[in-house]
Formats: sequence, structure tokens, C-alpha cells
Amino acid sequence: MELRAGDSWGIFTFLCAALCNLPALPALNCSEELGAGQSIQQTYDLTRYLEHQLRTLAGTYLNYLGPPFNEPDFNPPRLARAERVPSATVDLDLWRGLTDNARLAANYRAYSRLLCYLRVLDGQVGTAELRHRLAHFCASLQGLVLSIGGVMSSLGYPLPAGPAGPPAPPGAPAAPNDFLKKMDDFWLLKELQTWLWRSAKDFNRLKKKVPPAVVTLRLEARGF
Amino acid sequence: MLPPLLLLLCPRLPRADPLSYPAVISPQDPTLLIGSSLVATCTVSPDFPLKAEDLYWTLNGRRLPAASYAALGPSTLSVALARLNGSRQQSGDNLVCHSRDGGILAGSCLYVGLPPEKPVNITCWSKNMKDLTCKWAPGTEGETFLHTNYTLKYKRRWYGQDNTCQEYHTAGTYSCHIPKDLALFTPYEIWVEASNRLGVAVSDVVMLDILDVVTTDPPSDVHVSRVGDLEDQLSVRWSSPPALKDFLFQAKYQIQYRVEDSSEWKVVDDVGNQTSCRLAGLRPGTVYFVQVRCNPFSIYGSKKAGIWSDWSNPTAASTPRSERAAGGCDPKGGEQNTTLRRELKQFFGWVKKHAYGCSNLGIKLYDQWRVWLQKSHKARNQVLENFADCLNGFN
Repeated sequence: MELRAGDSWGIFTFLCAALCNLPALPALNCSEELGAGQSIQQTYDLTRYLEHQLRTLAGTYLNYLGPPFNEPDFNPPRLARAERVPSATVDLDLWRGLTDNARLAANYRAYSRLLCYLRVLDGQVGTAELRHRLAHFCASLQGLVLSIGGVMSSLGYPLPAGPAGPPAPPGAPAAPNDFLKKMDDFWLLKELQTWLWRSAKDFNRLKKKVPPAVVTLRLEARGF
Repeated sequence: MLPPLLLLLCPRLPRADPLSYPAVISPQDPTLLIGSSLVATCTVSPDFPLKAEDLYWTLNGRRLPAASYAALGPSTLSVALARLNGSRQQSGDNLVCHSRDGGILAGSCLYVGLPPEKPVNITCWSKNMKDLTCKWAPGTEGETFLHTNYTLKYKRRWYGQDNTCQEYHTAGTYSCHIPKDLALFTPYEIWVEASNRLGVAVSDVVMLDILDVVTTDPPSDVHVSRVGDLEDQLSVRWSSPPALKDFLFQAKYQIQYRVEDSSEWKVVDDVGNQTSCRLAGLRPGTVYFVQVRCNPFSIYGSKKAGIWSDWSNPTAASTPRSERAAGGCDPKGGEQNTTLRRELKQFFGWVKKHAYGCSNLGIKLYDQWRVWLQKSHKARNQVLENFADCLNGFN
């Protein structure tokens, strides 16, 4: 991690490192930076793990739905129903321009809602194997939501008001027939995949912003 | 504010319906018996500029033959399906109406199967009289193709109220666990209801008293030790399971043991009530694995046998090696060697006393001779010459 002369981030991290090594400064400040850096890394790792888990879950679930849902090129229409599942796709410039707070909040909100929908699925699905896999995935996803919340807290951002209550948020009626429900399930899994793919990039970006250089210099000074 | 006349004349504008679908299939999500036939229709919504000839059908991703289609109207196409097989997946067969370019217009899930058969073979057991676990088998040897729900119900005979078991899959797929509120000394009626989209089937009622199906934990503190120096015996000791110690019961025990590298267990059946046993007829110098299990029969004087517990974790011990086999890189026939050497020693001793010129003859020479037997012919002859000289001297 090199500090380029004149680089504003470099100067900032150097100052922070210097300050951190002053015994007068309460250790709490730097340990929060340390906390945020680690939390972001952990959250990133969790999204990669979930991505991997989802591949198996999606495979099993789509086989349960049956062909054509499990065909690789399957692409049903997204009917003009009230958007229940938050979409991960976003304009590139918009995405680049997101503040850390907005970036984290978007992730937090999306996974909270996705978790709700997955839990409803868990209650309805037929086979024991699928229920078991879904339950496991929901537990991991819950972990991700908490992890994102942890990052937000350690950076001093307020948590967005989540959809705490009912599983189906108001204004999103349940699918009127079984086939449409299968299509909803298909799109839920697709959105989950896209979100995990996007989150990896979100957290990568955040990793670079919260200077781990502080951590490295501090540890070196302590002789580790 | 529109004048009332205009209000009456203006038709109600249809609300932009967020739920408008391109087409509608009938019947939507039907349930059918295996072998039945079905005629399904796809009607395109008036908002969409599609005609009957622009449509086609697929079932589970496979295109259905055009010969089975019929146009029932300008924008309605039907398909005839005959002698349906059981559903390919429990979530239902996917019957889909497509537009010419492959786009999905509507779909319907077909549930084709059989009604459930009576569940059979209900067996139950109670762990330490605290709970009841039951398992059963589904009636059909084949499957019903539909998702079947099983509900275990129970009630105390003569007391009327049905109860439903809540904790399923505790001991396999077809099992349920009743954790509390069970009474002793009273018969229970237990049965299983199987239901799916095509019907319900109820098993025969099983009647039992909790005390008749008690099982317990395996015996604890199983120790296996040698019996002094005896090579073919091991002593096994254990404690009776603690959970039932306050209840009046006689325990029966069973021991099984096997040699380390074998998978065949030998069972000792007649252990009775004791908490120790001696295994005999074992192989010396061998490692044995031993397990013990318990049957709490005659709880509170119940006449029936209880249910055997699980086997305890295997405990290992080894029998002592026999002495003769101990140590030694002796070649085979070592025993013979001992006697021969002894006799030879005696002979040489006698020779030395009574013969001249045999000073270098002795047991040491004999040993050397044995070593040289392995070596060259020449060396052997040398020794033989020595021996011959000695014999000459003896004469």
C-alpha cells in the first residue's frame, strides 16, 4: 500500500497513522477505523460465499420448478406487476457517484426485502431438501444484513428504516396463480444473483475508501 | 367539476391495471388423475394484437404437436392432452402458451397424480418415558406424483380430544416427535393421515401404553479390561443407564464384540441383569471392540419387553500376547532348535571329557557351522575336516 506524494488519501492516511500512534489519542477512534475496515472485508467475503451458496440453491430450486424454468436460456417476461423485488441494475455513472452511505443503504434495504421474500418461499415449498437448503441460505443472508448494518454503524451512518413487519409489503399482491408464482420465484432468484454480484463490487469499492493503510502502519509501529 | 350529464355519459376509465396479462389459460392449475385427458384453452387479451394462428403450446419445455391444436375463436387456441402421465415434478407440470417468437403469454400448472394410500407400519418408542417418537411408511410402493402431507394424530382412549403432532422429520422423513404432556398408565390411540390434492387416506389406529414402548440411553461407563494374564479373556463392566434408576424396572443387557479388523460382530445374549460380564474364547494378542446396550423391560411391572437402546460407543481393549509368540526373530522350528542344542551341548561336553584332539570342538563350533551353512562350500568343508580329525582322535 504505497502513499503517493501529494495524493490526498495518502496524506490523510499518514496523518491518521501519526495521530493514532500518539499515546494521548484515545485508542477508540483508530479501533473504529480498524473495525470498519475489517467489517467491510468480512461483508465482502460473505457476499462471495452467498454467491457460491446461491448457485447450488438456485440449481435445486429451478429443478423443482421444472422445465422450462431450469433451462439455461430461459428468459420469461417481467410482467408489469408492482415491483416487489428491488432491482440491482443501475446506471453506471449513477452507481459510481453513490456516496458511501447511499451505497450501503441500497444494499441494506435490498437484502432486507429479499430476505423477507425468501422466508415466505421457505414456508410454501414442497420438498424437505429444498426447505433445508432455503433455511440455511436465509440464515446466511440474515448474517449479511447484520454485517452491512455493522459496517454502517461503525462508519457512523444511520440504518435505513427496514421493512420490519409483514412478509409481503403492502401494494404487492400475491401471484394470482401457480404459474405466475413460479415466475416470481424465478425472478427473485435472478435478482438475488444480480445483487450479490453487484454487492461484491460495492464492497470492493468501499474497501479502497476506508484506508486499511492506517491498520498496517499502526501494527508496524507496535512491532507486529 | 363536470356537469352531472357528462358524468353519466363518460364511461368509467379503466384504471391502468398493473396486473394485465397477455393471455389467460383455462383451466388454471387443475388437479387430475393419472390417465385422464384435458383440453386447455389460451385466450389472448384484447390489448394484444395476436391471433390464434400466432400461438403454440409447450408442456415442460417441449413443444406440443400442432395436430392437437384447435382454434376456438380469433384469439383462442386450444390443445388436447390425452392419457396424462404423473407430474414430472411435484410443483406441477408447466403448460405454457407462447407467441410465435417464443415469448411466454401465460402458463398453467398441471397436477397429475394419484390419491394417497393409507400409511402403514406405525412404530413408536418413548425415551425414558418423557416423550414419544413415531415413524411410519407411506402406503404406496410407487409414488403419488403429488406432494403428500402427513399428519400424526393421537388421543387418550376414552378421553376424546384429538391432538396433532407438531415436530416432524425427527427420525427420518416419515416421523414425528411428541415432546410432552403424555400420560402414563393409559392407552393412547395413534394414527397418521396422508393428504394430497386428490384426497385423504387414514392409517389404521395403533393402540399403545407409553410404558410398553420405553427405551433408554445406552449403558454408561463401559470399561473393558484384561483378566490378569489370561490370554483369551476380557472383562466388561458398565453402569446401568441413570435416567431410569428411580423407576422399577429390570434391565436386560446385550454385549457385542468384534476383532479390530473385522466387521463381524459376535453377540452375547444371555447377560441378564448384571452389569459385568467376562468374554472368553478370545484370540490372544488381539484388539477387540466392545459395545453394550440395554432393554428396560418390565417398567412398573409392564409385561411387555421394552425397546433396546442404541449401542454404547465402542470401547477397545486387547488380550495379552501368549509367551511363546513373544519377541524373537527365531526362524521357524525354533522349538526344535532348543532341544537339539541342549543335546548337542551335552554331547560335546562328554566328548571333551573322553576324547583327545577335540579341544576346539564345542557348541560354539556347532553355531559357527550353522552360520557357515549359509556361506561357502569351502568353509563348510573346513569345519567338517575339523570334525573328522576329532573323530579320528576319538577312535
